[in-house]
Amino acid sequence: MDDSDSPTYASLAPANPTMVNDLASVDLPSLSNIPDVNSNGHLPSAVQSPLSGQDVSSPQTPASLDMKSDGYSDMDKSTMIAVIQFLKRGNLKSTEEILRKECGFFEPVDVTDTSGALGEEGEVLAAYKSDGNPAEYQDAFKALSAFVEKSLDAYKYEVAAVLYPVLIHMYLELIYNGHRGEAVELLQNCSSSIEAHHADDLRSISLVTSRAQMAGQPLLNTLLSAQYTCRMSRDSLAHLKRFLADRSAGPVPRIIQDRLNIDLVDGQPRTKAQVLAVQGAITGEAPRSANKTKIFYGLLKEPELQTVINEEEEAEDDLDKPKKKKSKKDALQKNKKNDPNAPPANRIPLPELRDQDKQERARIYRDSMKRVTLSRDALPSICFYSFVNASNTCVGGSVCSVDISDDSSILAFGSAESILSVHSITPAKLKAMKPAEQLSDIDKDSEDVLVRMLDDRSGETQRNLMGHSGPVTAVSVSPDKALLASSGQDGTVRIWSLQTWTCVVVLRGHIYPVWSVRFSPHGYYLVTGGHDRTARLWTTDQHLPLRIFAGHYSDVDVVEFHPNSNYVASGSSDRSVRLWDCSNGACVRIFTGHKGTVSAVNFSPCGRYLASGSCDARILVWDLGGHGNALAALSSHSDTIHTLAFSREGTILASGSMDCTVKIWDFAKVTEEGRDEDVNATTSPLEDKSLLLSTFPTKQTPVLSLHFTRRNVLLASGPFNG
Amino acid sequence: MLDEVAVPSAVSAESIKIMGESIGISPLGDDVARELAEDITYRLKNIVQDGKKFTHHGKRKRFTCEDFDWALKSKNIEPIYGVVSSEFIPWRLTSGGGRDLHFLEDRELEVSDIVTQQLPKLPPAAAVKCHWLAIEGVQPAIPENPAPMSKNLQKQEAVDPASKLAAAQADTRNTRNIHGRGLKSVETVRVKQLATHELSAEQQLYYKEITEACVGSDEPKRGEALHSLAFDPGLHQMVARLCTFIAEGVRVNVVQRNLALLIYLMRMTKALLDNNTLYLEKYLHELTPSVLTCIVSRQLCLKPDMDNHWALRDFAARLMSQICRHYNTTTNGLQTRISRVFCKCLNVDKTPLATVYGAVAGLCELGPEVIKALVVPKLRVLSNKIEQCIESPSAYEKNAAVHIKGMLVKSVPPVLKMNRNPPDLLTDYKNDFGFLGPLLQASVIKLRQTPGVGGVVVSAPALAPTLRPLSTPTPTRILHQSVGGVGGRALVVGSGGQVTTTGGVGVAPSPGQKLIIMTSRTPGVQQGLDSPQLVSAQLPLGEGSGATILSPTSTAAGAALPPGAKYVLVKTEPTDDEYGM
Repeated sequence: MDDSDSPTYASLAPANPTMVNDLASVDLPSLSNIPDVNSNGHLPSAVQSPLSGQDVSSPQTPASLDMKSDGYSDMDKSTMIAVIQFLKRGNLKSTEEILRKECGFFEPVDVTDTSGALGEEGEVLAAYKSDGNPAEYQDAFKALSAFVEKSLDAYKYEVAAVLYPVLIHMYLELIYNGHRGEAVELLQNCSSSIEAHHADDLRSISLVTSRAQMAGQPLLNTLLSAQYTCRMSRDSLAHLKRFLADRSAGPVPRIIQDRLNIDLVDGQPRTKAQVLAVQGAITGEAPRSANKTKIFYGLLKEPELQTVINEEEEAEDDLDKPKKKKSKKDALQKNKKNDPNAPPANRIPLPELRDQDKQERARIYRDSMKRVTLSRDALPSICFYSFVNASNTCVGGSVCSVDISDDSSILAFGSAESILSVHSITPAKLKAMKPAEQLSDIDKDSEDVLVRMLDDRSGETQRNLMGHSGPVTAVSVSPDKALLASSGQDGTVRIWSLQTWTCVVVLRGHIYPVWSVRFSPHGYYLVTGGHDRTARLWTTDQHLPLRIFAGHYSDVDVVEFHPNSNYVASGSSDRSVRLWDCSNGACVRIFTGHKGTVSAVNFSPCGRYLASGSCDARILVWDLGGHGNALAALSSHSDTIHTLAFSREGTILASGSMDCTVKIWDFAKVTEEGRDEDVNATTSPLEDKSLLLSTFPTKQTPVLSLHFTRRNVLLASGPFNG
Repeated sequence: MLDEVAVPSAVSAESIKIMGESIGISPLGDDVARELAEDITYRLKNIVQDGKKFTHHGKRKRFTCEDFDWALKSKNIEPIYGVVSSEFIPWRLTSGGGRDLHFLEDRELEVSDIVTQQLPKLPPAAAVKCHWLAIEGVQPAIPENPAPMSKNLQKQEAVDPASKLAAAQADTRNTRNIHGRGLKSVETVRVKQLATHELSAEQQLYYKEITEACVGSDEPKRGEALHSLAFDPGLHQMVARLCTFIAEGVRVNVVQRNLALLIYLMRMTKALLDNNTLYLEKYLHELTPSVLTCIVSRQLCLKPDMDNHWALRDFAARLMSQICRHYNTTTNGLQTRISRVFCKCLNVDKTPLATVYGAVAGLCELGPEVIKALVVPKLRVLSNKIEQCIESPSAYEKNAAVHIKGMLVKSVPPVLKMNRNPPDLLTDYKNDFGFLGPLLQASVIKLRQTPGVGGVVVSAPALAPTLRPLSTPTPTRILHQSVGGVGGRALVVGSGGQVTTTGGVGVAPSPGQKLIIMTSRTPGVQQGLDSPQLVSAQLPLGEGSGATILSPTSTAAGAALPPGAKYVLVKTEPTDDEYGM
């Protein structure tokens, strides 16, 4: 870290326009998505905070504008005009005035587009204008589905994937052209040939029954702005083309041509199971080109800890010391081996280790020596923390989010009544810092300065933090236990100090409810995801996001850091999981296959695997070494999975769900040798009943959080709904 | 798919018109109303769809008003103020003129009442409690964890043993989960092997401790042991042993005539019956004879004229009626068989008086229908016998006769009252019932004169304010009480939608009625993980738990079934699975 040419924090700062442009150019669909989202009223005003109703013109608001105001001097005039046009259209007069004042830009700007928000929308929708005979749509679709039905089994399932997008676009075309009766009839008669997992989307689409309604539908915007992707083998495509050639007129070939992105793959057509395994996302499958980047999934090299450990060791009792030392040395050697898949240590700047961090690492290390080895024959012990008087019906409000610190000493939970509560789950008390005048008396060079600055008399087992003005949707304790991050439905992310017990910073940036926040395992960074369809990367020393990960087509519901802090995984309501690179903001993987909102993601401790759970009650395991195919599908839950946890050595996966059970899965078997070698498009995910090792039902207590202690005891928690 | 959607809900044009009228826009054209209705339906559905995201992130299953408000806020629309409900909106349905109307019941409140009312207690703060969900992969059977085998499952197994076989074949893993890792999964499945009766070392120890405590001399310890039997989940593996223990114990102690031990054993039986995680049908072949023995045995104690074996007979008779109520099915014909046994014992000339007393008590506990069919026809014979014995020089016979008389006079009149038409003439009674006639006639007349006899309807508003725990806004209503039903059952409805029937409960000496009123669980009431114990401890006080007992408010017909009261309260737990949590 002391290399002079290694990147500094400043190199990641948001003011760097090239970096921002890089980020923006990464994701093309997102770019095409943003403008029409803004204009059609779904994101009604980018600069207006929807919850406070106030105009916020300070740089906390969206980065896209923010960047522009930062560098307005070299910004071209046309951009300025566009921004002002946008403000005018949104009737944001005060913001416009301030912007003009700040930029010294006083030229008159006309809002040329008098039709307002509908104008651009109209252009996009105009593609639906057709003068086709409304009666022929249903026949055309029936012919297509009959063709699919009669196809050889080899091609059938790949070709069947086009049915759903064709149906919805047909429906929308009919609606746009005012043939409502035919449209409803089409959907009623033909929806039976569509796979069941599209039912929710079909239902949303079927709500739209007039041209005016087409404007505001979020799902519809997605369908318009992103092409539905179907992956197909060469043979299947040829098969489909033969059919299309026969009926060159009519809506079907036109829709397939305009609306579908057919991702051509060499090789055998896939089987039904393989096709179904990757379907589910709003925009179909991930195109293969999106999943080609190499991922550095290895762990970072452990820092040199020998000296610390030796010191600690001397302090300890030296009973049977020789034996211990030997095993430790072995393990240390192992840690030092360089992982070929690991990113360079300076790929993203990480905070330097302080003495206390080193001691913490040494403690982790010692605990790992004592931990229980879990396997299918040695299942974990589970300690359950239930929240009483915190169920849905209680006056105090229900518990929405829980987090346990990495060393398992602090449990924090956020409630629907905007209160954050921090509990100590060890005998150690939660102490506050001494007042300033007393702090100045402390010798800053003494070794135990961190202990001395805390006031012993202030020790409490529980402390409440109040500041949010909406349900607290997620909490995360920093690895050094000094900070606590929380996200709220009020659209803010707050960072609290666990020493002064106050809110130290409010991160404003998300303009809608924030659903998830996580600290990086190395501290310093944190990532958030929210209703505005973005995930954002922040640091603890700046109030602006470093990166905005845009690309999801719906809410980002859950985010998680990779153990090497170089990547972020996000799960979304568009039913896909994306992996983002923190260093350049690029989306490096899109995992599709979930059939419901992704509600939990977690990385295995080795960094190679990603597990994601969703509202469809299934867990999918992805291999980051591969190209976006699921390794295993674990289904046994009966409701939304809210949390996933890997045991510390990565042999056991635990999942907790709304169905009030904790399930233990054999992850060692999932990752067994041989299986992970050649996972590609032609293998289907492993689905084996024997992977489920055990089920532990709770008493009417949905499981919101799971956490393995450093010695592999599983801590679970949830509110008791009695 | 789409056709699964039952009825597509929509705002009707009529509703729009009515809403228009209510704000003074009338007349509203049909086209306008239809257009508006369609658009409003679409927008409402969109908002609800968005609101579901808030439900999801609130980690709830139920969509609330707040979710809707948040969805509005996220669309930059002013939320609707004043419509807040933490749980559900109590829509009510009324129909008239061929139309259904749903409406929200909005009660008018007196401001002065609210001002003078005592401040409600503060809701308890959220707290964290911890327990072991699993220890090295085995789930301990503690009250904090769900019962290893739910009562429904036990019932299913008892009724249909083959289901176990099928389940085992379908998924051997499941049994493994139930028993933890101790049980090896066996590939070749045979019915007999599956019925494992191995007890772990801890269970054996528990069995030893419990049985010793139950029949030992330490009363507080016995209390604890019985409490454990009555409330601990996860006893189902040991029930077989415990039942055998009871059966053997009764057999030995009847011969020994050890009254105290018999009482202890009956209390054990009672505890097991009270445990609502157990389904005892499989063990009735052991329990029923033991209990019957304690009711009708010729001699239960060393000094029949001195010791109060009558109490044991009463207690056992109540147990028997409890068993009949729980486990009587058309297949096993339990109640019929039991009644037949009792009837045989009523043969006055052959059987000793203690047995006759037991039989009378047993039959009387089984409810008015049984009394009417089986006791009333025998009354004449019985009263002759009583007449003889009450004058008898033998203290034992005299004592027995007094007890039988007491039992009959207590239980029979309510039945007679319903089945005989006034006027109640002394001569008729004398003719029909002989010696007991005058006594019965007097009590029937007294019953008839007591007000409130018959269908008792207690209006809720009168009771609710005093009953209402904390600040719960849920009103309590008793819907109706039927007269002719078995045991004079009262149908009591709690506002939470729970409906149960209670045995009409009268407690001697005054034939009063206890009403058991169930309220839904009140929000904010401290319900820790130990709530089962809490509920049981507070039952008689009627505070803090979900059930409340009223002191006698009116007299009513119905057989005296004190244990029924307990039973009903136990059943106030929402369902078996939930086990009072």
